[in-house]
Amino acid sequence: MHPPSLVVTFTKKSSVKMAKLTSLFVILLSFFRISEAVFEDQVGKFDWRQQYVGKTLFAHFEANTQSSKKLFVATDKNIFASFNSRTGDLLWRHVDKTGPEGTIDILLLHGQDALMVVGDGRLLRSWDTNIGGLNWEAVLDTGSFQAACFVAIQDTVKLVSVLKKAAISLHYLSNGHQKWVENLPDSDAVQYQAVYSGGEEEVYVLGVVPNSHLTIIAYSLEDGEIIKQRSVEASWLSSVESSCVVIGQGVLMCVDPATLALYTLPIQAEETPEFSQILLQSLDLEVSPGFQPVLVSSQPHPARSPLSEFFLQLGPDHHVLLQLNADGYTIVPLRDFQPAFLVSFATTGKKTVAAVMTPKNETACAINLFSVDSGRRLLDTTVFFPLEPNDGKPHALYVHAFLKKDDSVGYRVLVQTQDHALTFIQQPGRVVWTREEALADVVTMEMVDLPLTGTQAELEGEFGKKAAIQDGLFPMVLKRLSSQVTLLQAWLAHLWKLFYEARKPRSQVKNEVTIETLSRDEFNLQKMMVMVTASGKLFGIDSKSGSILWKHYLENVQPNAAFKLIVQRTTAHFPHPPQCTLLVKDKDTGLATLHVFNPIFGRKSHIALPALPRPILQSLLLPVIDQDYAKVLLLVDDQYKVTAFPSTKNVLQQLQEMASSIFFYLIRSDQGNLSGFRLRKDLSTERIWEVVLPTEVQKIVAVKGKRPNEHVHSQGRVMGDRSVLYKYLNPNLLAVVTESTDTHPERAFVGVFLVDGVTGRIIHEAVQRKARGPVHFVHSENWVVYEYWNTKSRRNEFSVLELFEGTELYNSTVFSSLDRPHLPQVLQQTYIFPSPITTMEATLTEKGITSRHLLVGLPSGAILSLPKMFLDPRRPEVVTEHSREENLIPYAPEMPIRTEWFINYNQTVARVKGIYTAPSGLESTCLVVAYGLDIYQTRVYPSKQFDVLKDDYDYVLISSVLFALFFATMISKRLAQVKLLNRAWR
Amino acid sequence: MKRHHYETDHPEFYVAMATPGGQGGGALSTRGGARRMKWALELTLGNARGRGDRQSNQGVVMYPIGYSDKPVPDTSIQESDKNLVEKRCWDVALGPLKQIPMNLFIMYMSGNTISIFPIMMVCMMAWRPIQALMSMSATFKLLENSNQQWLQGLVYSVGNLLGSALAIYKCQSMGLLPTHSSDWLAFIEPPVRMEIMGGGMVL
Repeated sequence: MHPPSLVVTFTKKSSVKMAKLTSLFVILLSFFRISEAVFEDQVGKFDWRQQYVGKTLFAHFEANTQSSKKLFVATDKNIFASFNSRTGDLLWRHVDKTGPEGTIDILLLHGQDALMVVGDGRLLRSWDTNIGGLNWEAVLDTGSFQAACFVAIQDTVKLVSVLKKAAISLHYLSNGHQKWVENLPDSDAVQYQAVYSGGEEEVYVLGVVPNSHLTIIAYSLEDGEIIKQRSVEASWLSSVESSCVVIGQGVLMCVDPATLALYTLPIQAEETPEFSQILLQSLDLEVSPGFQPVLVSSQPHPARSPLSEFFLQLGPDHHVLLQLNADGYTIVPLRDFQPAFLVSFATTGKKTVAAVMTPKNETACAINLFSVDSGRRLLDTTVFFPLEPNDGKPHALYVHAFLKKDDSVGYRVLVQTQDHALTFIQQPGRVVWTREEALADVVTMEMVDLPLTGTQAELEGEFGKKAAIQDGLFPMVLKRLSSQVTLLQAWLAHLWKLFYEARKPRSQVKNEVTIETLSRDEFNLQKMMVMVTASGKLFGIDSKSGSILWKHYLENVQPNAAFKLIVQRTTAHFPHPPQCTLLVKDKDTGLATLHVFNPIFGRKSHIALPALPRPILQSLLLPVIDQDYAKVLLLVDDQYKVTAFPSTKNVLQQLQEMASSIFFYLIRSDQGNLSGFRLRKDLSTERIWEVVLPTEVQKIVAVKGKRPNEHVHSQGRVMGDRSVLYKYLNPNLLAVVTESTDTHPERAFVGVFLVDGVTGRIIHEAVQRKARGPVHFVHSENWVVYEYWNTKSRRNEFSVLELFEGTELYNSTVFSSLDRPHLPQVLQQTYIFPSPITTMEATLTEKGITSRHLLVGLPSGAILSLPKMFLDPRRPEVVTEHSREENLIPYAPEMPIRTEWFINYNQTVARVKGIYTAPSGLESTCLVVAYGLDIYQTRVYPSKQFDVLKDDYDYVLISSVLFALFFATMISKRLAQVKLLNRAWR
Repeated sequence: MKRHHYETDHPEFYVAMATPGGQGGGALSTRGGARRMKWALELTLGNARGRGDRQSNQGVVMYPIGYSDKPVPDTSIQESDKNLVEKRCWDVALGPLKQIPMNLFIMYMSGNTISIFPIMMVCMMAWRPIQALMSMSATFKLLENSNQQWLQGLVYSVGNLLGSALAIYKCQSMGLLPTHSSDWLAFIEPPVRMEIMGGGMVL
């Protein structure tokens, strides 16, 4: 069955048909499907997945007992999930649609039921919190969501009321059926913002006409009839939602930042009520300048009225616990908390406590419980929350209080920080777990080689240029000897460790990766993943285990900022540390900042950064290096002036010499403008070309050049008649994708322009009529693969463009875009793909010998490894001798999806947003990271592991056979000698 | 193929028959019990050294007077000997040429597919002429006695060259020769990039 192995042996004799045969070999192998998929024992060996949920918006704990383990969160990524609060593991997770359709407006928890309003009041859902199953789902009437609350009838919670912009509805908790729905009176003028029920026979709706009056409407629970309707003069009030709460026996408490006063109003009052004013001054309270005071109240049970105690936040770190007296008009300050970052109420049984987080010192915050009634601190309730310098500040506090056996109140606390991390702390002050939810929104990433081990690095450094100049002959000899000794020591230590660990059972051998023990492995398969998240938090993750080795939170990053991560110096230049630069551009001001750091340790580098007073448009990494081996980064500002970083004299001199060969291009999507610039010696620029695509017709969606670290091994393709079709490998080629502004199915189109980035010459344009985006595309080597939606046939299609120079090379030694008189030959083919896709990337290997695969992220969460062989415009419709010789698969319009092509078997990656590929030290192996909501890391072998012995390789058998043969030879040699001697004697 | 015996295993016949090419000598052999006659005329008076003769129940035999142990070279037949040498040398020289039809046949039979047997055939075909050409000096030594030594040498080498040409042709038809541009594709270096370019969408 395996003749190919013989074939390969013989081709070594003649390196002639080699390429052809190896490709044949590869293809033959690729048809042996058995080895394609992952074996059962390989699951989780080279791959890992981490699941995230995003920034928490609502968090609730399961029933208030000490043994409860569940924690429910709803997040800004439209996810409703449950964690095991002991471990932080995900119990279950529901991923809803992205965008406003799936937005979670509110999450309410009562007993076993979790109520959720989804999609700006589109749906009301009830979940069973035990198993995470959907109890029921009710479609609500149109109108934007305002508020929702549980409604109790005779002390049992049976209903939920949902307030919309113009209507209020009541639903049964058991089955979601609507009890009644009523239109709100005068909803054009009045903004209804709050709904309140305190266990009475009515449900109250509060609305406001800004700076005019407040409207209170009481509906009968029974039939939705309006029982009362009051209008209260309130010219100072602009929003109920942000400045009012209901406390005590139905008293509306509002705060007015302008007059610095509290206003109270009994909602249920029969006669026409009036707001009564209490000046903050009279309570000896003072609001920090410019701060909008915030009220925090608590309603422990929907069937009962809220607490009469409430918090008033007077400044960023100033809270006051106040109590409303029974008369409903006077307020008593219970306790002043300053400084205090966060406050929260928590109820267990009949007891309600307030948790307050106060800064303790530089590295920790203290959380204490206070009795709500008296404001007294409860003893032995202090918990410390560690403040890491690289984490964000605390942002929200969720307290899980429970009664201990001795009837005292115990609690656990979930702290959400500004970097979206969740930290769960138990009472003695132990951090139980931390979830870095910022990783649910990775924007960009890079993989950086790990440094060599200390000893290796020492050897490297020993004979460095600088060392040789500084030292004389004798110190060099000494150095040599000492490094040999250290190597010996390291080897002995390694042997000892091997011996020591061999005695232990395998399960006990820990392979914990810490930042100290990081070192490059034999084949460079373990790398550091530097991930940049939208929240501005940077992570360094070990690619082998997935453990977070360092994190760094950049404060003051705008939510919509643009990021560009650049590796300026790799680990190859010992003793210079590797260096990464993150360009963060604020979308509003256009100003950019640079964050320079060491990607291995995450530490910020103390390098003089260039002043960037003007908005930055783009950056450009040159292959030019300065004397410290850092690549030069050029930053282009809005006046098309260039700033170099680093900008030493050496660099500036090099730039002057090379200026005439440095070009850059800028694309302004809003103006439909592509323009190219050339660098002048004085670091200013001149525009040398411009292409305008009228924005009325089409808009530029995306542009991709080639990856700078891509190597193309073969400069051409071997034809069936053994001639060569040379590839058009223009390193300056850009693929620009446009979409038509007209979205009508008959007139919509997708355009792909191949533009030379130096000269602006349009090499090729392909317009796909009756096609619509979103277009996903990959540009690599001499091909562009893109995927779009065909509006006519209503299906997804893949199209491939391949560029060839022809059978002659124009200039085989040098490529200059300025000297290319001939246009390339362009071949194109299109295929039907049975699934929509979310992202696409091509595999990348060290030398580019291995065949390429496309990694396609599907909406189902699967990642498909699609051989590029299937996307080859030379696939013939009629099979000929030559095409067979070339191993071209006959053209078939349908592209298959084979389940064994899924590289992540059942480890689906929710909402794949991007796939990152990096070469490893092995030519056969490509490292893959898929990120989106989840992060999945694995290795792929597009041409199988041709350079590695299999895992199950039988070393024992092979070596025993070898030894046996060796001894057999020895013995037979001896026997032959004896026989010869005997014969000679005869 | 006819074989020529310049020497035989039985030195006794030199005396008896005086012709080096005597083939009938075997008939007179007394060895081998199967053809034992009732009586036999032993012309050589027995040979004590012959192992086979040792088994015959004869006693020690004396050499006759004037008998020499060494064969006496016969100088009377110089002329025909020379011809034979010549003939033999031509045989050597023409050997490779005679191989060619056989090789052609093998070539035809083995086909152009690349698998182990055709490859082995081609290797043999290519290796034998090369080996022969490398051991040219040994062959020349063999042809030393011939008058037409140079001509024979030439014919011999031409034959071998033809053989190797045939092997090369076979390689060519099997596609094992780097004669196409595709065979040198792997050695083409990627062209050096003259311009540095970068940029992108305005951030």
